[in-house]
Amino acid sequence: MNNAYFTKTGRKSVLTIICLTVCLLNLSLFTTTATASGKDLSAQEIKHLGEKMYREGLLPSGEPIKAFVTGDVPVDGTSFTCISCHLRSGMGSIEGEVITPPTNGNTLYKQRKPYIEGSVFVPIIHNYAVYLPERPAYTDETLASLLVTGYDPTGRSVLDAMPRYEIADRDMEIMIAYLKTLSDKPAPGVTKDHIKFATVIVEGTDPVAVESMVIPLQYSVNRKNSLAVASKNNDRVARMGYNMLGDLHSMTFSLKRWVISGPPETWREQLEKYYKEDPVYALLGGISEGTWEPVHRFCEENEIPNLFPIVDNPVISDTDWYTQYLSRGIRQEGETAARYLSSMADLFSDRKVVQIYRETTRGQALADGFRTTWNSRGHAPAVEITLKENEPFSGLQLQQIVARHKPAALLIWDDDKLLGNVASLVGLSTGPGVIIASGVWLGEAIWTIPEELRGMLQLTYPYRMPHEEIRFDITARKVLEGKPIEDFDPIILRQSFIAQEVLGKALMEMRIEYYRDFLLDTIGMFDDSYPPLYERISFGPGQRYASKGCYIVQLGKGKNPQLEKLTEWVVR
Amino acid sequence: MNCFIRMTILLLTFFFISSISFAADPPRYERTVVDYSIPDVVLINQDGKRVRLKSLLETNQRVVVDFIYGTCTTICPIMSAGYVHLQRKLGDKSDSVQLVSITIDPEHDTPEILKDYLEKYRAKPGWDFLTGSRRDIERVMTAFDAYFRDKMDHQPLTFIRSPTEDKWIRLYGLLGGRDFMEEYQKAGN
Repeated sequence: MNNAYFTKTGRKSVLTIICLTVCLLNLSLFTTTATASGKDLSAQEIKHLGEKMYREGLLPSGEPIKAFVTGDVPVDGTSFTCISCHLRSGMGSIEGEVITPPTNGNTLYKQRKPYIEGSVFVPIIHNYAVYLPERPAYTDETLASLLVTGYDPTGRSVLDAMPRYEIADRDMEIMIAYLKTLSDKPAPGVTKDHIKFATVIVEGTDPVAVESMVIPLQYSVNRKNSLAVASKNNDRVARMGYNMLGDLHSMTFSLKRWVISGPPETWREQLEKYYKEDPVYALLGGISEGTWEPVHRFCEENEIPNLFPIVDNPVISDTDWYTQYLSRGIRQEGETAARYLSSMADLFSDRKVVQIYRETTRGQALADGFRTTWNSRGHAPAVEITLKENEPFSGLQLQQIVARHKPAALLIWDDDKLLGNVASLVGLSTGPGVIIASGVWLGEAIWTIPEELRGMLQLTYPYRMPHEEIRFDITARKVLEGKPIEDFDPIILRQSFIAQEVLGKALMEMRIEYYRDFLLDTIGMFDDSYPPLYERISFGPGQRYASKGCYIVQLGKGKNPQLEKLTEWVVR
Repeated sequence: MNCFIRMTILLLTFFFISSISFAADPPRYERTVVDYSIPDVVLINQDGKRVRLKSLLETNQRVVVDFIYGTCTTICPIMSAGYVHLQRKLGDKSDSVQLVSITIDPEHDTPEILKDYLEKYRAKPGWDFLTGSRRDIERVMTAFDAYFRDKMDHQPLTFIRSPTEDKWIRLYGLLGGRDFMEEYQKAGN
């Protein structure tokens, strides 16, 4: 036998090999888990670079993070971002059968264990998932290891649904430091006993409209506060309340009115002053008959959620985050008209589309909605004729326009005076095949459309059919507590009703985690719902206009006509 | 080098390799073969073009269909990653298969949103993303026995059509790239 081991050289060789191997092992396991104390990273760096990694999948170098999903499929980190599953708040999501747990520091650095020793239920802080397995608290090292290898500290693989990412050294430090900043402390306006809300009212708004907006919200706040009192006084109520709402059951709410006045350029300063004096968790509702832009911007830059302001002209953005609107506003009618006409445009041959509109905010919004969508579909732009706000417009002038342009389709964005004008086109053999007006602008005048016009006039109508909507009066009356419904604006009442319903549902789901981004993330994961007023409202991550619908309708024949739908709720 | 040293090296190398293994757990999915009847609907693709679904799906090529939507979290990125991987693996032959994604959020997913989605995944020609009226989309989902009450309830379902058999292979679960390739290749035989 060769006794090489027992020679000095032999022993040295084995020792060298062992040392080398141990060094290599250390390198492979711990290169990517460099101690991430984050002490030398500035808050700015963490926020800016960490956010880019988390939301966009880009390393600080600007390169996409390399990721591998289901073990072996390489993907760009840009199409597999942390935010897409863990959402902006980092609180995770549940979709279909896939549960994404929270990834904020508060959750990661705590142990996850059953509520009751030995039980299979492992609740996390909010309602999403009860079946997640136990794990110890992460450390910076084990968290880095999870991100790189896809294995958690118990050896469980997350690779079925979560990619593993190639992130190293300082980039990993930034990532981990950023996760620690996600949903890390309660939002302003929230204490363990109380949540503060406010509603923004532009001075000079019609008082009936204002009250129609405020009353449902105030009702909701009062009801919540009543429950808090009842819970304090009665154990059974407290138990029931706790089952349904968790700690929310004993919390109280308040709703302040932030009245802003003067030119819109001055609103921002007024809002900042209100906020500085008494910070709130979120804004509810709100109302403006004109622009909403300064309020939208205030919310965006202060990261304050605003749920369902009552506005005709919401800010249209694909990327803004903090304001959840009921719809795209008045322009949605114009957009729908464009899609509707687009579906029949092949039949127009070379004939034009003519769009006549009043140069008021309403008229311009309708026209712009139509124009933008119509042109984006590749059609020749419509011939446009504008009318000044108080400019008279006669049936004769309309006849002349039609004779001159011979449109296949005519849009008239005007108030009920258009009915008299359109009457001049009755019986015209060369008249347009389709005439479209705004049902909302006509308002009650819809019901006065003469019989001979009903066949030729089609209307955009962004609500449920009135004869079907009437059954929701009972729901709307709930928030009035005996006040006559006739004293209020029926549309605004219902819109505000939706706001308080959505808020309540969201807070119930969130339980005690009242982070602002989490509020919007939670709403973003709601199922479709069928509330008063809108046939359907739907949500989705990042989607900020709840109602996507608007019918094209006609008034039916006879003495007691109904509005009749010509399209589905959403016109494609 | 002597026997002992060789053994030591072998053992340590084995230890080293096994400690850095990245092997994933085997993905789980269900596979069935079904005959589906495609409804004759006209949907709209990412270019705003109207597309007769039957013409797109009943061809001599292999066809793959899935149901996703533009703002989906979690499931859809994984499924789309599978499509991307398949296209990359097929290289020049990526147009030998018709990949179809159908939105289950037709209210929100306009052609512009579909196009952005495909660009995000760097889709190559041969992958179309369709939207349409809610009624038509529901008809298609029902035809594939993939009706979801709400988009938030959707499940990972992928369908591969074998042109030779005129049947659909229904894959339920989140497939790894390798499994997906295997199923795809099997479907062509």
